[in-house]
Amino acid sequence: MAGLPDLSLVEAADAVRSGEATSAELLAACWANLERANPSLNATIWLDREAAEAAAQAADEAVRAKRPFGKLHGVPMAHKDMYYQAGRPCTCGSRIRADFRPDYTATVIERLQVAGAYVWGGLNMAEFAQNPTGHNRQFGDCHNPWGLPYITGGSSSGSGASVAARFNFAALGSDTGGSIRLPASACGVTGIKPTQTRVSRYGAMPLSFSHDNVGPLCRTARDCARVLSVIAGHDPRDPTSADVPVPDYEAALDGDLRGCRIGLAETSFLDDADAPVVEAVNRALAVLAARGATVSRIRLPLMDAVSAYGGIVSRCEGPTIHAQWLRERAADYAVHLSARMYPGLAIPAAYYIEALSRRGPILRAFADDVFARVDLIASPTIRTCLPTLAETDVDSGSPQAAPRFLAISANTRPFNYLGLPAVSVPCGFDPNGLPIGLQLAGRPFAEARVLKAADAYQRDTDWHARQPPILAA
Amino acid sequence: MDDFLAEIEATIARWHGVAAPNEPARRMAADLLETVRAYAALRGTLRFEDEPSSFEAALRATMEQS
Repeated sequence: MAGLPDLSLVEAADAVRSGEATSAELLAACWANLERANPSLNATIWLDREAAEAAAQAADEAVRAKRPFGKLHGVPMAHKDMYYQAGRPCTCGSRIRADFRPDYTATVIERLQVAGAYVWGGLNMAEFAQNPTGHNRQFGDCHNPWGLPYITGGSSSGSGASVAARFNFAALGSDTGGSIRLPASACGVTGIKPTQTRVSRYGAMPLSFSHDNVGPLCRTARDCARVLSVIAGHDPRDPTSADVPVPDYEAALDGDLRGCRIGLAETSFLDDADAPVVEAVNRALAVLAARGATVSRIRLPLMDAVSAYGGIVSRCEGPTIHAQWLRERAADYAVHLSARMYPGLAIPAAYYIEALSRRGPILRAFADDVFARVDLIASPTIRTCLPTLAETDVDSGSPQAAPRFLAISANTRPFNYLGLPAVSVPCGFDPNGLPIGLQLAGRPFAEARVLKAADAYQRDTDWHARQPPILAA
Repeated sequence: MDDFLAEIEATIARWHGVAAPNEPARRMAADLLETVRAYAALRGTLRFEDEPSSFEAALRATMEQS
């Protein structure tokens, strides 16, 4: 058996189930890596080792007593610090909520607990989940385990970094414009944004009511399937969650891609893409083709409308949530954050309503056209080689920073407006040694197909299994 | 551009009681002109009947069939 922190989430859960490892051993192994790597990474905001050790002991006692347990029994986890847990901190990565302790618990946290997982801390994140880089003025920037000067991707920065650095088996992130897929890509881990409405958002900090999604970042597609099978499904406390049956995502992972049609998105997704990124994605598509998939190139319709309308929706909804704090505590926001939200207050309601009212018809037109030709849409998750934190620091006042900052999420944002499920899997490294991600998106509620392709790819490659240099230091 | 920005700042102040928090905010507010241009470019390019629609219904209508 591999060293305990090197186990995937599924392997760790299976090890506890079979008695090969105890939950206390898993926690101790994660903690050793945390103490080694986290002083450089700054991936956490708060820790609660005492509660975690108590939970581990309880989990091990349940195994000894042969009591029934769930799919994630005894697995320690930490999540982006925006999921409410009664009585525990929930900073949302912000100064404004630095002392916030909610009095109720998010549905996704409860479901993970029912499955047997427990929480040992809260992870660093972009302030109020509103940047694609991992900058954080209040708690300090999160650093990439593959190269400390580089961005982790955001906004789920600590989720990506902690899973990559082997002190977290899986982490919840949130994705409003790419915030799961971007850190998954930048940190060399696997992350899935589910279909809009697939996972309950009750007790999750809101950013954009129409575009917010909850999903996991893990080492493997199979891990993502395991977590998603636990958290997906209708929640009466979130009336926007879909009452659509949840399939057995793991059962679908058979490695067989015969009959699967994959289209490499040409429309805008490859504009200004760096050559090493394009080459890595093309090599990944060849691997998928060898598994039986048919690969072609596809031009996606309606992308100008998706871009314009999607931008309007997010830019209006965020400031709506933050308007009172913008009036009273504007100085407590990072510069890039208040700067980004401020213009949204001037966008006319007619623009916003047009963007929302067109969303359904655009999805139908897009799906009727695209999914008649392909089953999955492929693209780079981030189309450029990874920039550094300094190069994307809008608060520094550098005029070059803002365009680079905004370009990071260019390939992920469209799938938030369209509501489609999309996964990012590691598919190589750029010349600076930073990970490259392949994004695969599918029809609404096609998480099983998306994860099946990602898993098939990981059967023939080992990018997801490589260890970042931070662990060798 | 100066007139546009002044108009935006006045609108936000009047309708929301929020002042520009910093200079980058003013620059990004000025960039709303790009948003106006993007919307203008869409005019006439989309042909949808203005019937009742629902994004959630569209998700279901276009979903993966098992």
